[in-house]
Amino acid sequence: MNPLSRRTALQLAAVTGTGLAAASVAGPAAAAPSSSRRMFGHGVASGDPLPTAVVLWTRVTPTAASTPGSGVGPAVTVGWEVATDPRFRRIVRRGSARTGPARDHTVKVDAGGLSPATTYWYRFTAGGTTSPVGRTRTAPAPSARPARLRMAVVSCANLQAGWFTAYRHLAARQDLDVVVHLGDYLYEYAPGEYQARDVVVRPHDPAHEMVTLADYRRRHAQYKTDPDLQALHALAPWVITWDDHESANDAWSGGAENHTEGAEGTWAARRAASQQAYAEWMPVRYTAGGRLYRRLRFGRLASLSMLDLRTYRDRQASSMVDPALDDPDRTLAGPEQLEFLLDGLADPAVQWKLVGNPVMIAPVRFPSTLDGDALRGIATLLDAPVSPSGVPYNVDQWDGYPAERARVLGHLRDRGITDAVFLTGDIHSGWAAELPADASTYPATGDSVGVELVCSSVTSDNLDDILGTPPRTTSLAAETGIRANNPHIKYVDLDSHGFSVLEVTPAGVQMDWFVLVDRTHPDSGAVWSTSFRVPAGSGRVEPAPRRLA
Amino acid sequence: MSGSALDRRTFLKATAAGGLTVVLSSALGAPTARAADRLRVYVVVVDGTRPDEVVPALMPNLAGLRARGAWFPSARSLPVMETIPNHVMMMTGVRPDRSGVPANAVYDRAEGVVRDLDRPSDLRFPTLLEWLNATGRTTGTVLSKEYLFGIFGERATHRWEPFPVVPGSGHAPDVFTGDALVAMVDSFDPDLVFVNFGDTDRVGHSDLTGTTLRAARRAALANTDLQIGRFVTHLQQTGRWSSSVLLVLADHSMDWSLPDRFISVDAILRARPDLRSSIQIAQNGGADLLYWTGPSGARSAGLAEVRRLVAAHPGVLSVQVPADLRLGPEAGDLVAYCRAGWRFTDPTPVSNPIPGNHGHPVTEPIPFLVAGGHPAVRRGVVLSAPARTVDVAPTVGALFGLGAPPGGYDGTARTGAFRP
Repeated sequence: MNPLSRRTALQLAAVTGTGLAAASVAGPAAAAPSSSRRMFGHGVASGDPLPTAVVLWTRVTPTAASTPGSGVGPAVTVGWEVATDPRFRRIVRRGSARTGPARDHTVKVDAGGLSPATTYWYRFTAGGTTSPVGRTRTAPAPSARPARLRMAVVSCANLQAGWFTAYRHLAARQDLDVVVHLGDYLYEYAPGEYQARDVVVRPHDPAHEMVTLADYRRRHAQYKTDPDLQALHALAPWVITWDDHESANDAWSGGAENHTEGAEGTWAARRAASQQAYAEWMPVRYTAGGRLYRRLRFGRLASLSMLDLRTYRDRQASSMVDPALDDPDRTLAGPEQLEFLLDGLADPAVQWKLVGNPVMIAPVRFPSTLDGDALRGIATLLDAPVSPSGVPYNVDQWDGYPAERARVLGHLRDRGITDAVFLTGDIHSGWAAELPADASTYPATGDSVGVELVCSSVTSDNLDDILGTPPRTTSLAAETGIRANNPHIKYVDLDSHGFSVLEVTPAGVQMDWFVLVDRTHPDSGAVWSTSFRVPAGSGRVEPAPRRLA
Repeated sequence: MSGSALDRRTFLKATAAGGLTVVLSSALGAPTARAADRLRVYVVVVDGTRPDEVVPALMPNLAGLRARGAWFPSARSLPVMETIPNHVMMMTGVRPDRSGVPANAVYDRAEGVVRDLDRPSDLRFPTLLEWLNATGRTTGTVLSKEYLFGIFGERATHRWEPFPVVPGSGHAPDVFTGDALVAMVDSFDPDLVFVNFGDTDRVGHSDLTGTTLRAARRAALANTDLQIGRFVTHLQQTGRWSSSVLLVLADHSMDWSLPDRFISVDAILRARPDLRSSIQIAQNGGADLLYWTGPSGARSAGLAEVRRLVAAHPGVLSVQVPADLRLGPEAGDLVAYCRAGWRFTDPTPVSNPIPGNHGHPVTEPIPFLVAGGHPAVRRGVVLSAPARTVDVAPTVGALFGLGAPPGGYDGTARTGAFRP
């Protein structure tokens, strides 16, 4: 569907009285009048909803020369308005902000004084033109007990690997309170370095790996011109964290696998550039060099602790026999963030302790019985070292930091913490797993201290892509082997791309997985794949009888 | 029992379904003539049951009540996660720093011994039983454990003394408790009955397969569930169901340890005889209460050192001062909690060989549901409110229209389980 026809459909929906909420957000900037399109070509966004405040974002292009990353253009005053209706008859807050080339003409406003659990519409004005309208929603009051929370859960959107139809399908929904993005919102690679199998569906801009501040700004800007991404940003507030590709592949505190010290400058400078661009371009309550990890609350129903598992981590181990794996002091989260996480998990005022967890925490042991191609494919998918017997081991996720994981899982168990749910991305595949309290007795007792639900990639390659086989063929044996070898893993899909929708109620949590028919097709459909639920108080995952209504 | 106590009560012998005789005692002058359709409340404690055990495969009757009633999946026991303090919290609505009952076992400084808090005088706060009696209603206790019968004493209008009692465990098996409950209702039909089924706890404590199969435990769960199902059926068959509210919960959960996973504070302090001789230990399974009995001038430094030494043990989760846990002076000077999969054994390394324990934070999650045929009970709802054992008294009090006790409740009336 092209943006214009989508716009028409939304207007029709408004006329007929259906789909009012979707109709009232302008959707892609490309559908706006040309003056607005020129000024606000990167859309609008909101994020990090609090009970009385939400972050509003846009980018202005005051002159033709003020392209992203250019560092040129005048300083501009941008007005903003928040209303309780989509036609802005009841404006409740307004203000203005200055921006200019120092922040790449991006605008970020922390709009306060709002009411809890309320839907708002917002827009910006600059140079006599008005932006597309965005819709957002504040979080419930701290003492509220919401009956339901619905969120989209997404990760790993490589523009070169396909179209963001996953975002489009989510943007068509009417039920989302928030969109959770678990990282790899954009990728650093040059065209040809990482795409859909061998096909570059859409080449990256700039046409080289992003390294400098200008590169990172331009790449962010390119992604923000995607109409589907714009539509989903305009629909609901996002809660975002980064993983590695926002800076470089397999980043750690002192470097990254895809960073060459010297030839690509220093890691410190590169990371600072990536963080500055991130702070400028993302609707997140974060300033460059500050603390990205943070916690949001949705009344007493749920908290959402968003983690940063790149900035503070020790370097990945070289293999599964690397003595570093036994070092009790090795860290993934960093000591301060770890305490922040443990404190949030132990909060008795909140039922569901959701964790936005960029890399998988459930232990995964890949079976040696898989054929060589599958093992090599999994190793490629995970970018993981292999043991002498050819079995890959993912040293980039919590498996590579066993002492720290033991602290987290031990904390859950020792404190009798219930209803902890890790929401995870990173590995381009869908998973549902329990977190065994004690791996040795789990097969007999089934005692689990929490669960992990992993969404698939929006577009990024996974196992069938790496093996060059049709979806749901060769991977099935690998999935069966993984489940047999890891009884706590209840679901794994190593092939599909798409998105997840999570519902949180006092009775349970359910995740629906939706998969794209073809990520390389701009009009790809999405179909429901499966659903798993977590009954309250159980620490277990089980197949859900039906998808969310 | 003193002679004067005997003077103030009457006895009733009822014949149970199995042919055994159930003996119930009552206060003299208890009201008898009351409306048949009045509110009846049954607080049923499935001692030591874990919330994840309330599933159709293990406890079909309880799971059914849960599905047709209001369920609180975030419910928790309160420190110290032991039987006596949590039953006291249920009936008083106040925390141990106000009731005087922080644990099962304490060191009694006056008597110089470690003992169970099983005397009526140990409980210093009025209970729901007495408040209801004062309004002209009647109450009953059917408590399977001897120490519970002891501490609640003659507070209820009608009491069952556990019998027959299993040697060593100090409790009556659930089949007899179930008989007594039916007999209590048939004989006196109290407005409130407070029931404790002890088998799941007692069998859980001794289940040697606790860390794996929990074979004995599972059998006990099924049997306790059977007793509850039998009681529900009895209420239905006698026409009481439509006026009944059941509040079913556990007092604490259960955690199992392997034989070698124990902590002995006695052993830890043995290298420091100066400290050991200044400390008394009241062992409560998953928690140790430590009392300074040495010279007062050495107290502060001595306790700091004890705290440091005990906290260094890999099985110890935390060492806290009682006030932080809302425990009063009866709990001593320090409270040590163990981690999941561990237990305390004091004063000697063989004092506590049993695999199943509670008292430590892993045993906080409990089942907590409201069911019954009374039209006020909401059907099939799940509530995120963090219900606690201390919420029972305010919840039941609100049902009967009682006001708060002096100083107010520490618990919260869980009114979300009822229609407005």
